[in-house]
Amino acid sequence: SMAPGALLLEAQREYEKESQKADEYLREIKDQNLLSEAVRQCIEAAGYEHEQEVGGSGAASFGKCFLDKFPPESFVRTCRDLRVLNAIWDYQIGIPLTFAQYKQLTIEVLLDRLVLRRLYPLAIRICEYLRLSEFQGVSRILAHWACYKVQQKDKSDEEVAHAINQKLGDTPGISYSEIAARAYDCGRTELAIKLLEYEPRSGEQVPLLLKMKKSQLALNKAIESGDTDLVYTVVLHLKNELNRGTFFMTLQKQPVALSLYRQFCKHQELETLKDLYNQDDDHQELGNFHVHSSYSSEKRIEGRVAALQNAVDEYYKAKNEFAAKATEDQIKLLRMQRRLQDDLDKPYVDYSLHDTVYGLILDGNHKRAEHLYRDFRVPDKRFWWLKIGALAEREDWEEMEKFSKSKKSPIGYLPFVEICMKHHNRHEARKYAARVTPEQRVKAHILVGYVAADAAIEHKNETEMNLVLSKCTAATDSSVAEKINRAKAQSLKK
Amino acid sequence: MESLAESRERGCHVIGRAWRGMAAHLSSGRVNLTALREAGRRELREFLDKCAGSKAIVWDEYLTGPFGLIAQYSLLKEHEVEKMFTLKAGRLPPADVKNIIFFVRPRLELMDIIAENVLSEDRVRSPLRDFHILFVPRRSLLCEQRLKDQGVLGSFIHREQYSLDLIPFDGDLLSMESESAFKECYLENDQTSLYHAAKGLMTLQALYGTIPQIFGKGDCARHVANMMIRMKREFPGGQNSIFPVFDTLLLLDRNVDLLSPLATQLTYEGLIDEIYGIQNTYVKLPPEKFLPKKQGEGGKDLPTEPKKLQLNSAEELYAEIRDKNFNAVGSVLSKKAKIISAAFEERHHAKTVGEIKQFVSQLPHMQAARSSLANHTSIAELIKDITTSEDFFDNLTVEQEFMSGIDTDKVNNYTEDCIAQKHPLIKILRLVCLQSVCNSGLKQKVLDHYKREILQTYGYEHILTLNNLEKAGLLKLQTSSRNNYPTIRKTMRLWMDDVNEQNPNDISYVYSGYAPLSVRLAQLLARPGWRSIEEVLKILPGPHFEERQQLPTGLQKKRQQGENRITLVFFLGGVTYAEIAALRFLSQMEDGGTEYVIATTKLINGTNWIKSLMEKLEPPPF
Repeated sequence: SMAPGALLLEAQREYEKESQKADEYLREIKDQNLLSEAVRQCIEAAGYEHEQEVGGSGAASFGKCFLDKFPPESFVRTCRDLRVLNAIWDYQIGIPLTFAQYKQLTIEVLLDRLVLRRLYPLAIRICEYLRLSEFQGVSRILAHWACYKVQQKDKSDEEVAHAINQKLGDTPGISYSEIAARAYDCGRTELAIKLLEYEPRSGEQVPLLLKMKKSQLALNKAIESGDTDLVYTVVLHLKNELNRGTFFMTLQKQPVALSLYRQFCKHQELETLKDLYNQDDDHQELGNFHVHSSYSSEKRIEGRVAALQNAVDEYYKAKNEFAAKATEDQIKLLRMQRRLQDDLDKPYVDYSLHDTVYGLILDGNHKRAEHLYRDFRVPDKRFWWLKIGALAEREDWEEMEKFSKSKKSPIGYLPFVEICMKHHNRHEARKYAARVTPEQRVKAHILVGYVAADAAIEHKNETEMNLVLSKCTAATDSSVAEKINRAKAQSLKK
Repeated sequence: MESLAESRERGCHVIGRAWRGMAAHLSSGRVNLTALREAGRRELREFLDKCAGSKAIVWDEYLTGPFGLIAQYSLLKEHEVEKMFTLKAGRLPPADVKNIIFFVRPRLELMDIIAENVLSEDRVRSPLRDFHILFVPRRSLLCEQRLKDQGVLGSFIHREQYSLDLIPFDGDLLSMESESAFKECYLENDQTSLYHAAKGLMTLQALYGTIPQIFGKGDCARHVANMMIRMKREFPGGQNSIFPVFDTLLLLDRNVDLLSPLATQLTYEGLIDEIYGIQNTYVKLPPEKFLPKKQGEGGKDLPTEPKKLQLNSAEELYAEIRDKNFNAVGSVLSKKAKIISAAFEERHHAKTVGEIKQFVSQLPHMQAARSSLANHTSIAELIKDITTSEDFFDNLTVEQEFMSGIDTDKVNNYTEDCIAQKHPLIKILRLVCLQSVCNSGLKQKVLDHYKREILQTYGYEHILTLNNLEKAGLLKLQTSSRNNYPTIRKTMRLWMDDVNEQNPNDISYVYSGYAPLSVRLAQLLARPGWRSIEEVLKILPGPHFEERQQLPTGLQKKRQQGENRITLVFFLGGVTYAEIAALRFLSQMEDGGTEYVIATTKLINGTNWIKSLMEKLEPPPF
């Protein structure tokens, strides 16, 4: 043959014989610019070397030396494929594929065949040699191996699980849960559980554990994962699977699951929530529960009071004296409000104590207001604030003055000034402005519109003087401003 | 830029206005958070494309705000979303679309509504609609079981999850916007949100590399770190080959520092949030201050709709002032005003055609700057009206007394007076809780007095709220005779008398004196390390710990001379804008050496935080 490949082969043979003819052949190919074609032909021929001794690979590697830029990939690839074929032609393996068959079959199928023959080590070696990605290569084969391994009934669960983990380790792309599923299918539940221990993804562990009726374990795993949805799934599964007592006991041991289940009940099954608290003797929460139902599920006053009374009992059991007393007060208030509502034909129920008293004063029922104030021991200060607010809104200035004189005001008289001004009664405000303490005088005077400069200057208080200054307008108060500025300058000198 | 919520409100026949090149602000920081947003958008597109044909989305209302930060209506529109509805009971509104997709959080009560929607579907009139569910942020077996029990699970073709855990809010800020996270973790022992937080951190690490160092303080922090380590093992494929962007992760439990959110924030952004509430970067303001300057004859019809503004660092001026103490904002605004009017004056000097052309080319930018300035001047005026009020001042004085340790052990007069005048309950609860935290709990007599006052004034139904506050540790009985707060305050230098609001030299400027404990912890971790404060760490609740995640040698960082470390601080249970400002201040310190990115379960302030812990008991109607 005079094909360039044939010539190159000839050249290489001559070269090995150390004959100068090698150079002649080479020149002939090179002159025709066919060297790269020759190398290509030899590489291709090399693929079939095993079928007939051609010596293509030697020739190709020889010819390549005389080329500057021959891309090496095809050469390398063919060499690798040849090594793979070499390996499977070994008499111990005995898969005599031709190069063409091998190309047709693809490496993936070859690997599958090896796996079927349980030639796992060779398959892995090939994957590594061909540098296949772990996901489609080594991992897949290891998984197959493991699935086979779990079927070996002569070995103990312990041994098998250990052997599998030894080999697989943390190889990425390995799904221990799949292997475990296989083990479970073969009836080896214990082995499956052991294998699942190696599964890092809880999301994968949990469904299988549930399928294997290992719900408690599934619950542990779900909690470990931190995925609350997974926890809910197991909890609701447990709820259907176990009787109520056992279910509650199980939750008791798992605070995370218990709190999640409580949340679930809060929105879905209120009565169960109560049972849960009861089981825990959580009287504080039981108290809260009754308060809740007093508002949300009871319509009639009697029902609401009864619910609150339950709350009182629980709060006492919880040693929460404050909550118990406050709830008792609320019961008392509700009853009083109902009476007020009946007597006065006005809505009072469900107003706060403050608003109830306010409403009574607003309607001129001072006696009843006074009664509530004493009965519920409202602090004096707050009662005074409340009363003057209501009186001002009622514009009952006479009553206010009487009240202001009933005893010494616990809140001083500035609030009187403020509230009168808020209701635009400067006349009344001025009455109280005269009674404020010296410290508050400037503020009171400003409020009622007196020129407060004198008081501020008298105090020698710069902040107050500035306050007065800020209220002065250039048009009307220039003389006042001047006076303050003078006083300020003087105090600076000192 | 049109928000999803708005599009939905209008029934969505109108397509959103022109899509503007938004999200530039996300790439302004040291860590380019656009990648995270992009990943979110990609995932969303892929899901939408699975449901071929025209679509209507039925929204769990709570999700629209957070989703708006990932994708505008225009993106949905491009993927054939033609209508949007709010999820509600009953029958679905008519829509001539092939697919109905429910975007929902995995909650049982929502599943019931969905089931009702599906069951009441009129098969005769619209027989061809396909149903799908997108769970945000995770699919739930529990919910699917519920759908199954209701007999509708089979009606859904696609049931998938959209892992929207950490949503980028700004170039250095991520939030899960999980409203009830604090309550669930600290009150109900439900750690679902922590699981999502760990998942979010895994996503973050997939995009920005494994974080080599993890520090933490608190039980929740410990739990999240454990889950992260566990999840790393679960990941098939082993090593992450991305060069790590973050050097350190600091996980902090909110209950390590209960004080900071209770105090009134005094930064510009903090005050906007305190007074008007910022939601998903938007704020709604009273419209009166935002009227156009020149009012024509039609000036009578005042706008009744609140003015809605988006607040983020995409706005140059806002980026500059947001983290300043409010007292330092006025001077910046007036300086800006001068610069802008000077710039507009330039036109008189422009003589040649070239000069005029140049002036005109700058006009859009100048006009944007002017309107931004006008907006913020109006906001500052609104805030000033409040901060200069007597009550604001009195309240602040009391807060500062508590924080500096004055008279924390007895009943406070101002608090009492506020109760007597029935000031808003949340204000009272903030004050009482603040006092309790600053005194390591209150004496029985004091605590009972406050509780009684509150119940008598605001109603007995708040007894459960008080109980919740006690369970969360915000309100408590002083158990030991020792008050630990002074020790913590002194060691951590939480109170600074010589605070400089204009040119701050310490983080305490954000609360005009009080340095947030949480941020001090971060600061001391960076330098000189937590070993210096072992004693205080022991007093604070929960364990403190350090974990290292091994990196392959190729990915180990060789830091350039002068290159700052990047620390991700994750607040479990919420973070305030003032704390964020304090961390940004540390990032900008010249010799700081550390820059911070902040993540949280929710952006909070004292008001919405307390609100999330309140039990709403309403008496039955008569």
